[in-house]
Amino acid sequence: MFLQTLFTGLSVGGIYALMAVGYSLIFSILNFSNFAHGSVIMLGAYMGLGLASKFGLKLGFVVAGAMAGGGLLAVLNERLAYRKLRHRNAPSLYLMISAMGCSVFLENMVYVTIGSRFYAFPEFFTRRVVTFLGSSVSVMDLFALAFSLLAIGALGLFLARSRTGIAIRAGVCDMTMCSLMGVDTDRLVALVFLLAGALGGLAGTFMGVRYLVYPTMGWITNKAYIAAVIGGLGSLLGAIVGGVILGVVETFISAYVSSILRDVFSFTILIALLVCMPNGLFGKSMEERV
Amino acid sequence: MLSVKDLHVHYGKIHAVRGVSFHVEEKEIVSIVGANGAGKSTIMWTLAHVLKPSSGEITFLGLPLPEKPHEVVHSGMCLVPERRRLFGALTVSENLVMGAYMRKDAEGIRRDMERTFELFPVLKGRLNQVAGTLSGGEQQMLAIARALMSSPRMMLLDEPSLGLAPILVDRLMDAIVALRESGMTILMVEQNADRALEISDRAYVLEVGTIIMEGSGKDLLDDPVVRKAYLGELA
Ligand SMILES: Nc1ncnc2c1ncn2[C@@H]1O[C@H](COP(=O)(O)OP(=O)(O)OP(=O)(O)O)[C@@H](O)[C@H]1O
Ligand SMILES: [Mg+2]
Repeated sequence: MFLQTLFTGLSVGGIYALMAVGYSLIFSILNFSNFAHGSVIMLGAYMGLGLASKFGLKLGFVVAGAMAGGGLLAVLNERLAYRKLRHRNAPSLYLMISAMGCSVFLENMVYVTIGSRFYAFPEFFTRRVVTFLGSSVSVMDLFALAFSLLAIGALGLFLARSRTGIAIRAGVCDMTMCSLMGVDTDRLVALVFLLAGALGGLAGTFMGVRYLVYPTMGWITNKAYIAAVIGGLGSLLGAIVGGVILGVVETFISAYVSSILRDVFSFTILIALLVCMPNGLFGKSMEERV
Repeated sequence: MLSVKDLHVHYGKIHAVRGVSFHVEEKEIVSIVGANGAGKSTIMWTLAHVLKPSSGEITFLGLPLPEKPHEVVHSGMCLVPERRRLFGALTVSENLVMGAYMRKDAEGIRRDMERTFELFPVLKGRLNQVAGTLSGGEQQMLAIARALMSSPRMMLLDEPSLGLAPILVDRLMDAIVALRESGMTILMVEQNADRALEISDRAYVLEVGTIIMEGSGKDLLDDPVVRKAYLGELA
């Protein structure tokens, strides 16, 4: 039981981390809360669902398709809703409101076009179980965990090592200076949205497999915001650690206490942490920002 | 090479640059001197096209200045802004990589890296240090080194000697002269006006957004008005 719960918790945590990392990446470079991120994740789930049930694709293709779709959607979102505001140096509150608008728009588009029905991924995706050290672990949980680790690891390596990754981190420090180094900052921002959206598509797919796919499933992505804040907004390591902590704690609460108390607990952790450590676990203190 | 005609720049209602015209020819060192708040940095940011002029004409290499800041850099003009603006969370070597961001010639980049370390040997031992933790003077050196890494045809230097020890100011001025020898064109703004004028071919004196005087570096250095106003000399 314990081991099974732990695996489930880590797998949920991995999905939260995927969502939180994308959200945090956008926050760190543009300094606003992209509340449309949840809707991108939701649409990623629908794309994954479509690829799996309509076309009967294998897991690898479903994931790749959802990632591509999520990435493109996020890029489009930035292009249409944020870019103009950025160019006019609008306060981040405006960007945030625009993001909320996008989120409502996308959710309602799904209601209108697909409907409010709850969909489940095809059976073969969800059922299989393996026995590991005497406890049964869902194969899907293992896949979710593996894909999350892989995606986050690849992103980390990309940011640490590649020239473009260095440019993204430079943009986080000082976007204007970044453009003075010859970087096309619009393209850089688009790339960040592509990465965040792709991680979102991946998270959405596994989220849909675990729960169900429906228009308001984006609310689960509130967990991503919580995870990002627990870890320290803008810190990628923080987003990962925050996501995993949240996933594991929630799963244990559901399993050993009560699943109804799960969300009460998430928010309690969040508030308690913010009171003790206003910058989250890995957040920079405000003075440190040059 | 660079020509500015009747440039006006506003910050909202504040009219910071009021009809400035000047030019910089190839391989020249040109200085702009002026009191605090005269509009020197505003001109520099406008040349980098981070600030947009409200009117006036800027041509670089015979063409209108490109619209976006990164396009200006690609066209060969690179600004080292006032107060460093390093990527504080990145390491020294990552800052230098960013400087060379738009270059593809690995060989040239390596050569420029070596040249940079000759100029500022301290940087070599600190490649993996986070830039934000460098001392003020070291940060200034890195800011200049970073710009050199882009190997521009023309550099805009806004107070490059700020915070450097006198011996390093000497080295910096020598380096600027050496850069010109190697074909670089330089427009600079300096608090150390006398040091800048010594090495400048020509210079402009800016006062509340208007150019009130121009001449060769030496002429301005000898001009009693300039000496009194900008070199802190008692009349
Ligand atoms: N962002 C801004 N918003 C409003 N006014 C500004 C802004 N930046 C500069 N100014 C004003 O424009 C004028 C010119 O400023 P600028 O920074 O160009 O001066 P400067 O010659 O570089 O001075 P210093 O020698 O102190 O660096 C000043 O009066 C300044 O107050
Ligand atoms: Mg200035």
